[in-house]
Amino acid sequence: MARALATLMLREEVAPGHYLLHTDCPEVAEASAPGQFVHLRVGDGTDPLLRRPFSVMLAQPATGEVQLLVRAVGRGTEIIATHQAGTRYDLLGPLGNGWGAPAGEANVLLVAGGVGVAPLIFLADHLRSAHPRPYVRALFGGGTQDALVCWTEFAARCEEFTAVTEDGSAGDQGLVTDALAPEIERSRPDMVYACGPDAMLAVVAGICAQAEVPCQVSMEQWMGCGVGACLGCAVPATAGGYVRVCTEGPVFGAEEIDWERMVGP
Amino acid sequence: MSAPDLSVEIAGVRLQNPVMSASGTFGYGMEYEPYLDLSILGAIVTKAVTLEERLGNPPPRVRETPAGMLNAIGLQNPGVEVFIRDKLPALRGVGVPVIVNISGRSVEEFVRVAQMLCVDGVAALEVNVSCPNVQEEGMYFGVDCDLTGRLTAAVVDACDRPVIVKLSPNVTDITSIARAAAEGGAHALSLINTLVGMSIDTERRRPHLGNVTGGLSGPAIRPIAVRMVHEVARAVDLPIIGMGGIANARDALEFILAGATAVAVGTMNFVEPSAMAAVIDGLADHCRRHGVARITDLVGALQVG
Ligand SMILES: Cc1cc2nc3c(=O)[nH]c(=O)nc-3n(C[C@H](O)[C@H](O)[C@H](O)COP(=O)(O)OP(=O)(O)OC[C@H]3O[C@@H](n4cnc5c(N)ncnc54)[C@H](O)[C@@H]3O)c2cc1C
Ligand SMILES: Cc1cc2nc3c(=O)[nH]c(=O)nc-3n(C[C@H](O)[C@H](O)[C@H](O)COP(=O)(O)O)c2cc1C
Ligand code: FES
Repeated sequence: MARALATLMLREEVAPGHYLLHTDCPEVAEASAPGQFVHLRVGDGTDPLLRRPFSVMLAQPATGEVQLLVRAVGRGTEIIATHQAGTRYDLLGPLGNGWGAPAGEANVLLVAGGVGVAPLIFLADHLRSAHPRPYVRALFGGGTQDALVCWTEFAARCEEFTAVTEDGSAGDQGLVTDALAPEIERSRPDMVYACGPDAMLAVVAGICAQAEVPCQVSMEQWMGCGVGACLGCAVPATAGGYVRVCTEGPVFGAEEIDWERMVGP
Repeated sequence: MSAPDLSVEIAGVRLQNPVMSASGTFGYGMEYEPYLDLSILGAIVTKAVTLEERLGNPPPRVRETPAGMLNAIGLQNPGVEVFIRDKLPALRGVGVPVIVNISGRSVEEFVRVAQMLCVDGVAALEVNVSCPNVQEEGMYFGVDCDLTGRLTAAVVDACDRPVIVKLSPNVTDITSIARAAAEGGAHALSLINTLVGMSIDTERRRPHLGNVTGGLSGPAIRPIAVRMVHEVARAVDLPIIGMGGIANARDALEFILAGATAVAVGTMNFVEPSAMAAVIDGLADHCRRHGVARITDLVGALQVG
């Protein structure tokens, strides 16, 4: 973890309201592991004030490129959506703990919901270089086709790839979690890796526990510091109390999270 | 001109400069080591510690608001014993005074924590009175003169370290609480703690914070904090540590001119982890530009009228 400056080389609108930032940031490109995030300052004033966390989608040490996938949902991300090439970002990172290695042969299943695909693209990319014979299957879900952002980048890194949309505009119709139990039954993965909305992760965690397949999840929570100091990013832990998304996470074993307290009544 | 003297004294504790961390925004110090040379600081003030472990509030715990943020962490901490065993040794190693922020549900709990913190490496205690007293129907210690006075006297008795009472701004007249702390024997005052606030998610018709309300901090509260330091400085004859939205040396100087001997940086550490280094450098630069030999010459140097 460190302090770095990134320069925006290219901002692509890859789907409505979704922006792929190609940045030049050799330090972060060098140091990032899949699943880690950067804490980025938007501008240098007080609106927005706090930094915003984004997962590293790809890091290329050879070229110094770091890619971030940003969905415009509020003040900070809407400002990012207008940034031109040459914009400089002040970042802290890479931060947090990334994905753990799979046991055995890297026969894995990746479950992505919407913009949650970002850290899974990095993971798929990494598994291909770190394992001799990886077998990566992916389930990618979203409300509509537009939410399956960067799916070609994702699919290109997987042996098998299934898209699921709620309105049936792309792939199978339904929820990504509906496809999960049959997929686990069929392919018996060594590990399930998931990133997406809390409600999706809670269901994924439940299905994996039932099927006795180990599962890792990447969590989101509003953050203050991003470095473990403010205790703002707490999520409920099975062991009692809370764990910090920025420091113990963002990737957790699914069994470490108390999903009942997480998702609420 | 030779380098200006930035050193100050707070309740008998010598600080190399008047800049310290605000409690709860700097963890136990080490979290920021990769971003800032901790040994340059005037002091390090820790997150509140309580007698027993506290698990804290349900999430979400933080929410940005205009030029500030709301937090409802809920005093999460591992308890005083674990603090002394696991956190204090590394903090001591930094070599700057360590001020431990303490909290409790009763006067007795504060006293026990204070007694246990009379150990090497603790330079002073900061008493967080912005917490409910279970024995007085949950009334906050810091909103009542009598309670503040009694709590202060009890902590002063319990430990031979200097006692800094940290005042809550959520009161009608902060000077009367400041006087009560002074009469209770406080050696210094720090102010302000966060202002109680709230924000609502209009789509979901729910509060943004799991705890419903939270404490407002950051640049948004700075004018209130400066005003309160100004009032308290005129009301009591104790050194003051001023805080509330400090981002740079100019902000810090507002507090110093209003009467603060030292300043603390809180929320802005999250935004800019090296903010305290910039404040220290900026203070030295200001003194040079204005021909000020000692920073203490600026304390309360505000000219009105
Ligand atoms: C570890 C981590 C990794 C993330 N990775 C990505 C990523 O790769 N791509 C991406 O687009 N987003 C990612 N997010 C979410 C992203 O940080 C938020 O969408 C962003 O901070 C919103 O900022 P804003 O100013 O636009 O929104 P605001 O105006 O602050 O809020 C708008 C809405 O955004 C949501 N939101 C705000 N802050 C957060 C937050 N920290 N976490 C979750 N939701 C939030 C809330 O629902 C809020 O109502 C990640 C979050 C975390 C914690
Ligand atoms: C996340 C967070 C946690 C805090 N925790 C404590 C605490 O444990 N004890 C305390 O006395 N003050 C606590 N405070 C208050 C700060 O120390 C400070 O008084 C206040 O935030 C105003 O300063 P600022 O605007 O620079 O942040 C906390 C503030 C924040 C933002
Ligand atoms: S964001 Fe501050 S502890 Fe995680």
